Parts: sequence; structure tokens; C-alpha cells
Amino acid sequence: MLRIRNLHAYYGRIRALDNVSLHVRAGEIVCLIGANGAGKTTILNAISGLIPRAQGEISLENGRINGLAPEKIVGAGISQVPEGRQIFGPLTVLENLQLGAYLRFRNKEKGAIEQDLERIFQLFPRLKERLTQIAGTLSGGEQQMLAIGRAIMARPKLLLLDEPSMGLAPLVVSDIMNTISALRDRGMTILMVEQNARASLGISDRGYVLETGRVVLQGSSEELLNDSDVKRAYLGKDYKTFWEGRGPV
Amino acid sequence: MKVWNGENEHMVKEDLEQVQLERLQSTLNRAYKNVEFYGRQFDSLGIHPNAVSSIRDITNLPFTTRKDLSDNYPYGLFAVPLRDIVRISPSAGTAVKPVVVGYTKGDLKVRDTITARFLSAGGVIDTDIVQICLNPGLSAWGRALKEGAENIGASVMPMSHMSTSKQLMAMEDYRTSVLLTTPSYAMHMLGVMETMDTDAKGLALKAILVVGEPLTQETRGVLEAAFHVDVTAGYGPSDVMGPGIAFECHEKEGLHICEDHLLLEIIDVGSGDTCAPGRAGEVVLTTLTARAFPLIRFRTGDLATAISEPCPCGRTLARMTGITGHTGEVLTIRGVKVHSAQIERILEGVSGALSPRFLVHLYKEKHLDMVEIWLEMTDTMFSDEVKVVEHALERLRQQMFQMLGLEATIKLMEASTLDRYAVPSGGVIDDR
Repeated sequence: MLRIRNLHAYYGRIRALDNVSLHVRAGEIVCLIGANGAGKTTILNAISGLIPRAQGEISLENGRINGLAPEKIVGAGISQVPEGRQIFGPLTVLENLQLGAYLRFRNKEKGAIEQDLERIFQLFPRLKERLTQIAGTLSGGEQQMLAIGRAIMARPKLLLLDEPSMGLAPLVVSDIMNTISALRDRGMTILMVEQNARASLGISDRGYVLETGRVVLQGSSEELLNDSDVKRAYLGKDYKTFWEGRGPV
Repeated sequence: MKVWNGENEHMVKEDLEQVQLERLQSTLNRAYKNVEFYGRQFDSLGIHPNAVSSIRDITNLPFTTRKDLSDNYPYGLFAVPLRDIVRISPSAGTAVKPVVVGYTKGDLKVRDTITARFLSAGGVIDTDIVQICLNPGLSAWGRALKEGAENIGASVMPMSHMSTSKQLMAMEDYRTSVLLTTPSYAMHMLGVMETMDTDAKGLALKAILVVGEPLTQETRGVLEAAFHVDVTAGYGPSDVMGPGIAFECHEKEGLHICEDHLLLEIIDVGSGDTCAPGRAGEVVLTTLTARAFPLIRFRTGDLATAISEPCPCGRTLARMTGITGHTGEVLTIRGVKVHSAQIERILEGVSGALSPRFLVHLYKEKHLDMVEIWLEMTDTMFSDEVKVVEHALERLRQQMFQMLGLEATIKLMEASTLDRYAVPSGGVIDDR
């Protein structure tokens, strides 16, 4: 569904992405793991059209999308849930969700939007209970659910999730991961960035490991969870001795 | 015949190329960062891994040779810390030092999958009884085949030191359904079988899968008719991953290469340029998923031709012909690759000085490759006691077996006899 070839991106003179290629098949959850600053979020932002100067080829269902304006990319079927939720705090839950369907309001799809709201309430019953509550007063987990719900309101083919577990308590993290997994079961395709490698690989089909803007490893989630490098660097096994210079020992 | 990895063996070309590109790029990133040899080589040529933006760009990268492998003996080319290695597999190589191939747990899993593809394409299923008959020089492949067959769930009789008649007895009594061996050993077994009055009709054999040596149509024809079985071949140089990285399907029209794990190039031996389809050239392989021992544009020394037509079997994996020869002086003896320089070094080791003049004589006896080393008799040998000379020859035989896994006969020859062959010392007289 999504195909990226040779993506390069710079922040000023600093190279953020160096020749990144990856793909996401329909119905898959693919996660990008890596340390802070490895370029994970930059990839999502480049897909969403937020880094206009990114070079390379990004295509969605065989149509080139790089170079398009962000709203055109949303229209093409990609919604991003940004890091830290970024919901509209002063607005109600319902208003936040309706804003997610902003492009579709103009297309006069009101009936369909009502149906989608119902579907989101099935997925997140908690949101229905808090429909008129001011979003800023929701708990962290609820806010994350709202942010995902808002993104789904645009009826995306591909959902981009940036650090959905960030700042959440462990129990809430597993809640969110279950929800993401349920979304895939309903046919959604998801590309997710996560620092919590164990949680995200737990629900993903495949993953890519990034280091300083480059893909250094890819594989099925099972392969990555069992990989010694990944264990050392991202799953909390003797971190210090990881990659201390070249050479085998 | 069952396709072991349907999803991967039937991949649409465009999807396969995307997967290959992604894996090639990450392999280059890892090799450049973790293997000093590749880092230095790329830097000295002013190449950065990010210069590869399509799999066709691989032609801009430098080759890796067996000499490079040998120069970095033992662990210099490993791309992971030694503690991540779970299998250390030395192969004699063809240069001064042997080659040590390392595998991580994940690498072995990949190898088992690839081997299972080969075995599965040859008809092996979980209810089969698989007998492996390979000589000690191919023991690494023997293990890989054992693990691949176990991965399928078959009952496996691993390679052993049984005599041929014992092997045949086991084959009959244990109701072996699949034989894994070399083409020449299969022919040898056939010859021994005839002397033993064993009837192929009494065997439960349904397939023979061969590795190590090229399979000629003639040999295939003889074996298939005599054993009433299908004979298919696998290919894999001992320094690259496994014995079935390329394998024949039931169409028996070329070998499918596991393109999702290895990139195949056929190059002109002299210029290094890519050969046009249909033209024979050297097989060059790049690993796409190997973690421990990545190889970038490794020159195998084997000659073959790429086949561009799609295969009727439905697999989309590219095909190549069987190996039609070797570059340089590399000999394949009972599936084991040998360079005459290796024999020379063994001679030097034993004689402790400059090695005497020698020729390698290869011939067939009951379909098996036989090796004779013709040594020139020198005056110093005469002055020594017979016992001393005999002792030296025995050590030589032992060394040959230890280093190369081959039984050789050593013959002392007069200088004038050697002169009759217009071949320089270390040359090969191949009467096979």
C-alpha cells in the first residue's frame, strides 16, 4: 500500500534521513523502532507532507504523494496521529472528532460521518461516555484514544501513529496497543513509531530498525524480538556494551 | 511438489524488488558500520552505502573475493559481536587460510528455511525418510541439509562414515525415501548396488537430491532410470549460507535462486561487467539478510548462465543454469572445492622447505573422483631412509584429509615422467 524509496531529509544542514526505503502492505501493522533522533518521526512527517524538502519517492497505492500539500495527502488517504496527542484541549470530545472529518464536511458526507462516529464509539466506548466533556480534562489514555479516533474520522487507508504510548502508564499502554491491534483487525493499515519496542513489536507484523537516519535492520516482529542487537539496544538488555565500536568482539 | 514458502517464492517482481532494495540498503549500512574490511574498502573507493538507490546500482560496488575472505581469517568479516554467533563453520576455502563462516541464531533459521525450499521443491515431505551421504569435506552442507529436512519434519539419517555397501543396506532396510548426496556418489552407489545384487525395485526411494557438483543431463537420466526416481539439484558455494540457495523445481529447467535472501549477478570474468542474459559468466552473490557474515558481490568462481524466461512452476524467483565450470584453477573433487595452491602449501608444510614439483591427477573409479598427487622424486629423498620418506608421505595423506577432507594417493615419480606432461608444477591432469 505504502512504498518509500530512497528517502532523504535534512533539518538545516543536518541529515535526518539517509536513503530510507520501506513498505507497508495493506492490513499490516509496521513499526519503526530506534533511539531518539534516529529519524522515525521524520519519516512520518515526510509521508504526511510536513517536510517539503524531503527527497525520494513516496507512493500510496502506486500514486506518488510526495510533493503534495499535507491536506491533499490526507485526502489521498493518510492520517497522522501526532506525538503527544495534540488534541484541541478547549473543545469537547465530539468537536474534536468532528474536526477530524473536516475535509469530508465540505464533501457533504454528513450521513457517513454519523456512521463513522458510531463506529468509533464502538471501538472507544469511553469516548461516547465523555462526548460533551472538554478534551483537555481527559486522562492521558483517553486523550490518545481521542487523537486516534479523530484521525480515523478522515477515513484513512493508512494511519500513521507517532509514539502512541508516550507518557502513559503501563496498563494504559497495553490498552492502547490492544486498540491499535483491533483497528488492524477491522482492516486498517498502520505505520507506527514507538520507543516502546517491546510493546509495539508485540502487536506489529513487521518492523524496521533505524539508526542515525538509516535503516540498519528489518524483519518480522518475531525475528526482531529475538535479535540480539535489538534486545541489547531497544529491549533493555545490557545497553552499555552495544556497538562499542567496530569489530566482532 | 509443495512450495515451502509460497508467499516468498511467488512474489510479484515489483514487490520483490522493493524487498531486495530495502534489504540491500540495510545490509550495506550494517556491513559498512560493523565490518572494518567493508568500511575501509568503501572509504578508499569514495563510495557510501547511500549511493545505492536501486538494486541495479549494486554494479557500482566493489567485488569481494575468496582472497578477501581468507585475508580476514578468522573473524574479520563478522558483522556481529562474537557472542551473537551460534555456529562457526570453517570451509577449506581456496586460498592460504581457510574461510570461517559464522551464523547467528537468526541466520540458521533463514538457512533452514532456504534449505527446506530446496528439499521441498525436490519432493521432500514430513513423512519422508531422508538419508544423507556426503563425504567429510562437505560436512557443513551435511548439517545444513539435516537441519533443513528436520525443519520440514522428515526423519533424517545424518551423514556417517558407513561404507557404500552399508549405506545401501541402510537404504533398503530403513525404507529410505529420499537420498541426499553428490551426483558422483549416487553413480558410485549405483555401481556398488549392481555388484551386490540389490534391486532398485526393492528400495522405497522416490527422489534423489544432489549438491556439491553440477548435475549433467546424462547423469540425471542414468540415475532416474536406474532408481526410478526424480533427481533434482541444489547449488550453494560453501562460503555462502547454505547448500540450496539455488534449487531445481520439478520442471528441472534451471535453478531458482532465493532472491529474497541473495542477489544474483552473472558477470564477465575478465571485465566484471554484467553478462547479457543467455551468456555464461561468473556467479556473483550478495547476501540480503545475513547478519553474521554479510557478503557484498562475492565472486564464487562458479560459471553459469542466467535464464530470463519465467518458469512454468509458478515460482517468480529468477533462474540460472547449473554450474558449467569454474574460473581459474579451482577444482571440484567430490563436491569439495580445491585449489592446487592449497595442495602446494600442504606439501610445503610437510617437507618443511620449498615444495617439490608435483602434478594433481584426477580420474574416476566406479564413478567416484579419485585424487593422485604425483610427486617428483628428488635426490634428497633418495639419501633418506625409506622409513622417513614413508612417514612423510603418510603425513601428507593425513594433512590432505584434514585440510581438504579428501583421500588422496601419493605417488613418487621420476622427473622425466613429470616432464612428459607439458604442465607446470601444481598443474592438473583431469582424466575424469
